[in-house]
Amino acid sequence: MAAISFTLNGELRQESSVSPTMTALDFLRENAGLTGTKEGCAEGDCGACTIVMVRNGADRLEAVMACLLVVGQLDGAQVVTVEGLTERGGELESVQQAIVTQDGTQCGFCTPGFVMALYALRHSGETVTDEVIHDALAGNLCRCTGYRSIVDAARTACSVSGKDNINSRDDSNTLPASDAYEAGGQLYFAPKTIDALIARRVEYPDAPLLSGGTDLGLLFSKERQKFPVTIYTQNVDELRRIEEDDTSFTIGAAATYTEALPYIEAEYASFGVLIRRIGSRQIRNVGTIGGNIGNASPIGDTPPCLIALDSVLTLRGPNGAREISLEDFFLDYRKTDLAKDEIIENVRVPKLGNGQIFRTYKISKRYDQDISSVIGAFRLTLENGVVTAARIAFGGMAAVPKRAIGCEAALTGAVWSEDAVRQAAAAIEEDFSPIDDHRASAAYRLRVAANLFVRLYRDLEGADDVEVMAL
Amino acid sequence: MMDSVPRIEDPALLRGQGRFLDDIQLPDMLHVAFVRSPHAHAVIRGIDKQAALEVPGVHTVLTLADLSEVLTGERLPLGFGKAAGLPADITPFVLCKDEVCFVGEAVAAVLADDRYIAEDGAGLVVVDYDPLPAAVDCRDAMADDAPVARQANTTNLLATFDVGYGDCSDAFHRADHVIAVALKHHRGGAHPIEGRGAVAQPSPIEDRLTLWTSTQMAHEVRALVVKMLGCDEAQLRVVAPDVGGGFGAKFLTYPEEIVVAAAARMLARPVKWVEDRREHFLSAIQNRDQYWNLEIAVDHRARILGVRGEMIHDQGAYTPQGLNLPQNSALSVTGPYVVPSYQLNVSVVETNKVYTIPVRGAGYPEAAFAMERLLDKVARELGLDRAEVRRRNLITADQMPYELHLKARSGSPMLYDSGDFLECQAQALAAADYDSFPTRQDAARADGRYIGIGIANGVKGTGRGPFESAIVRIGRSGQVFVHTAAMPMGQGIATALAQICGESLGIDAAAVRVIAGDTDAISMGLGGFASRQTVTAGSAVHLAAEAVRDQAIDIAAMLLKTTPDTIVLKDGRAWDRDRPEQTLTLGELAEAVAGVPGYSLISHTTTSDAKPGLEATRIFMPESLAYCNGCHVAEVAVDIDTGAVTLLRYVVVNDSGRLINPMIANGQLQGGVVHGIGNALFEKMAFDKNGQPVTTTFAEYLLPTATEVIDCEIINMQSPSTLNPLGVKGIGEAGCVPAAAAIASAVEDALTPFAVRIDEIPITPERLVEHIHTQSSTSR
Repeated sequence: MAAISFTLNGELRQESSVSPTMTALDFLRENAGLTGTKEGCAEGDCGACTIVMVRNGADRLEAVMACLLVVGQLDGAQVVTVEGLTERGGELESVQQAIVTQDGTQCGFCTPGFVMALYALRHSGETVTDEVIHDALAGNLCRCTGYRSIVDAARTACSVSGKDNINSRDDSNTLPASDAYEAGGQLYFAPKTIDALIARRVEYPDAPLLSGGTDLGLLFSKERQKFPVTIYTQNVDELRRIEEDDTSFTIGAAATYTEALPYIEAEYASFGVLIRRIGSRQIRNVGTIGGNIGNASPIGDTPPCLIALDSVLTLRGPNGAREISLEDFFLDYRKTDLAKDEIIENVRVPKLGNGQIFRTYKISKRYDQDISSVIGAFRLTLENGVVTAARIAFGGMAAVPKRAIGCEAALTGAVWSEDAVRQAAAAIEEDFSPIDDHRASAAYRLRVAANLFVRLYRDLEGADDVEVMAL
Repeated sequence: MMDSVPRIEDPALLRGQGRFLDDIQLPDMLHVAFVRSPHAHAVIRGIDKQAALEVPGVHTVLTLADLSEVLTGERLPLGFGKAAGLPADITPFVLCKDEVCFVGEAVAAVLADDRYIAEDGAGLVVVDYDPLPAAVDCRDAMADDAPVARQANTTNLLATFDVGYGDCSDAFHRADHVIAVALKHHRGGAHPIEGRGAVAQPSPIEDRLTLWTSTQMAHEVRALVVKMLGCDEAQLRVVAPDVGGGFGAKFLTYPEEIVVAAAARMLARPVKWVEDRREHFLSAIQNRDQYWNLEIAVDHRARILGVRGEMIHDQGAYTPQGLNLPQNSALSVTGPYVVPSYQLNVSVVETNKVYTIPVRGAGYPEAAFAMERLLDKVARELGLDRAEVRRRNLITADQMPYELHLKARSGSPMLYDSGDFLECQAQALAAADYDSFPTRQDAARADGRYIGIGIANGVKGTGRGPFESAIVRIGRSGQVFVHTAAMPMGQGIATALAQICGESLGIDAAAVRVIAGDTDAISMGLGGFASRQTVTAGSAVHLAAEAVRDQAIDIAAMLLKTTPDTIVLKDGRAWDRDRPEQTLTLGELAEAVAGVPGYSLISHTTTSDAKPGLEATRIFMPESLAYCNGCHVAEVAVDIDTGAVTLLRYVVVNDSGRLINPMIANGQLQGGVVHGIGNALFEKMAFDKNGQPVTTTFAEYLLPTATEVIDCEIINMQSPSTLNPLGVKGIGEAGCVPAAAAIASAVEDALTPFAVRIDEIPITPERLVEHIHTQSSTSR
């Protein structure tokens, strides 16, 4: 790959000497002179650096955090920053005008990020409700306005979907993405097939696998690390695929949360709600379920759900593929069964069978974009008022996402009743010995985990339709 | 007259054309990364720069010793130099000398070709630390055998002072009820989304340095840097570019700003430092902890006889600008209530944490929380409605102006100039359907939902003096300028000043160019803090604009050969009312008094009494603080399984006097309330037992997001202030003063069946669940 090619506000850029792991934010501000995109945290938490892009091979425009993207990930994409929304001196774009009218900016530092988040929302084709607006803005922090005026601006500007000015300005819809790039001694590989990916993996077993970059990006952004070799996975078609058959979904490891969400929310509504609470749209537009699994954090949001759903991973290495139950994949704190020359290919998630119900609850201090204290996931099979099977998994309760075996046993065979769930909940203290940290105490984790059983009961009995909020 | 005109600041900001500090790029510029202490307390045995200096692109590594050749002192002068009675050795060092006193304190500065290289270099500077025990919790730090926060100390007790009046012991002796609370009030950091930063550029032509810095007070920064560099005011220009929020964090001259200026002077090259978010968490000021033990004496009708107690304030390792934060808290406890006697003993304690100065609200939210918690407890213990207890004790409108028996730190008496606190509360209760709430609450409880309503009143002293200045000038181009030392940083002050100026001169706000935050533009002023700028700078602009208006009318009358009383200024022109075809533009008026060498002004041939230029400088000096007041009613739901608190409704009735731009005013209130929501429910700056900060990202330290907040229902009362010509009072901090108190009251009300008491901010789900569990277990 001689160059990383992308369009920036409609103009073709071909970069051949820039570090492939320079953040897109630094590139925009320092190399391209586009200082409208701001750094508020460089950690994907504040949204001041929000830009929109149509990624290589994609057909839609998405908001992303420039601080967690690296230049290599821009290859083949169409990128738009706040400077690209208007001609110099021309009329404000409707989102911008709505913010002026509604008094949606005060100091103005976070404003370009909000503009871009709302610009993406306006072109998303969604029916814009307050809930959708909150979802679209969950990744953007503002310390001045208290948000009300920005939400008002969204209500007026985003209710009518507008024509975006991206494709019309670009000569071509899709630029070819390259599969290898070198600059300043740094190698960046973006293989397009799974075999090529595994070959790179074997060749450079210590190189980080970059997918959405929502975790790895912190090393590039915050830590300013320069890896000699980086292997990017999201150009591999097989890894982006999501397939559905009568009994399961197979989600490619490099498919984003946003891509997986429609399948998941249709089958397991509460899992869909949980995914909407992971990071923010900007994060979910690039972050992957495969990454959430590979990261092996004890407080990763999706693993407890996937374990409760009895999901199976396909791992692939130079000697072919193997399957492993997700619950067996997590060995210890941040340790997995993945061999150095293997990659996660996909996760197969069984659909719900007859009599099966699924619920998950995320407990965090803030509703949106917050790290969980506890995640509880329940798949129960109910037949004639009796629990014939139960798979229950928790995150935030142990060094790995883990099943609540004692609770499951207590519930299995029981008549479905509040007493039964309370008894099952009582087993939580045998199943887990969580730790204290500043996010939550062990006592709180145990108590809330137990309370979730009762919540589950009321939820399923329809006695309680209040969604579990933050905390 | 005034209206919600669109902000003149907006178009550039919306297009990404704002010019913030980090947007400044200069040729040949060096970038700074600071080496910061990893220890809360340690002795520095040595600093080894060698490995850092060997990194290609690292230009130099500077320590305090290296900078001494260009500095007049090692530590910052005590800000606002009148912090009476405080020792001199309590301020931060420019860079640490031989001791580090909090995690994040700057030890050395690495200057390199870019920030990446500078960071690499900073990672290679080897500092030999000898760790010392740290004073972390301010209460523990008061013990005789506690580790000292700084080795020069024999005690961590920096200061104690008493505030009060009246005969408390008599009041408590006579009381029918004495009710006590023990409270902890935590507020975290300021967290503007733009952090701090500075760029210094030595002029290649003149003996002059320009320092751009993201500050709330350009002129005060200039004064301090002049002092530290030993130069004069003509040798230093300080400019605040667009400032991405301040909230108190930028109301200080920081050591880093001195280092940047000194290094640029020393190296004769532009130097830039922009902090990252972690640096903001570690080394920008915080507001942090106050512990209150208070008791209140009331008669049988719940009328207050006295309030007394003590408060401990966690000051942090240094004191850069006096004790204004704990002083504000101590002076504002009585709030909007008649309190016949009051005594508070305050202890200010040094700890091994970053130093504190006021964050938005400046000590008032803590005091309001303390007082409102007391009143809620009075209501509960006397079996009275919470609003009724307040109603019986609020200062009445006919008591205005109401003189408190306290003196402000300036020594001037504290006085509430105007307001109708009872009406304010009444309007808030009506808007919130307070009276019908018990019915709704019963219905919810029958459904298994726990909802509660809370009420809190607050006052905020605004428009702090001693003065602010303004120049209004009409250029020969016809452009109208306002020069001010007021500092725009999001409040829309440029728009407000333009409106005030435009009102006098008969032009739209959008036609006024406001030049602020530049020490070259005006000689003196104090900047943005204490909700002061519309009051002080607004009044100064008003006075200056009125003077220019009079000048313009006189000149127009001379030119149009009529009398001034027939001239009106409108649409950028002077009109002769009797002859509408006779008009002159403001530019023509300015041109007429610009002067031609050797000729008279105006007619060039005959003498007149016209003065040169269309320009006036005015200073406004408020006699005392203009107090705004407000009543907040919050409605919440508490999830008893998880401890989650959800805001259902939030009513604000606020009285900030006359409003210049109601749209901007409402935005300030909403923003202030949300800051209070953050303090009440989310924001916690946590340290471990060794003084290590553990919340140093926005993933750990949670600000409210759009989902968590609520559209406040805002009602504005407008009792004109009697203390300034515009009748205005400040509003920027008003929203955050009673917010946490109102939310605490609501949460406590929601959890009445569990007898949960809220005595600490922030309210955490963990503590709620613990209390609920304890009470449920007991009652079973």
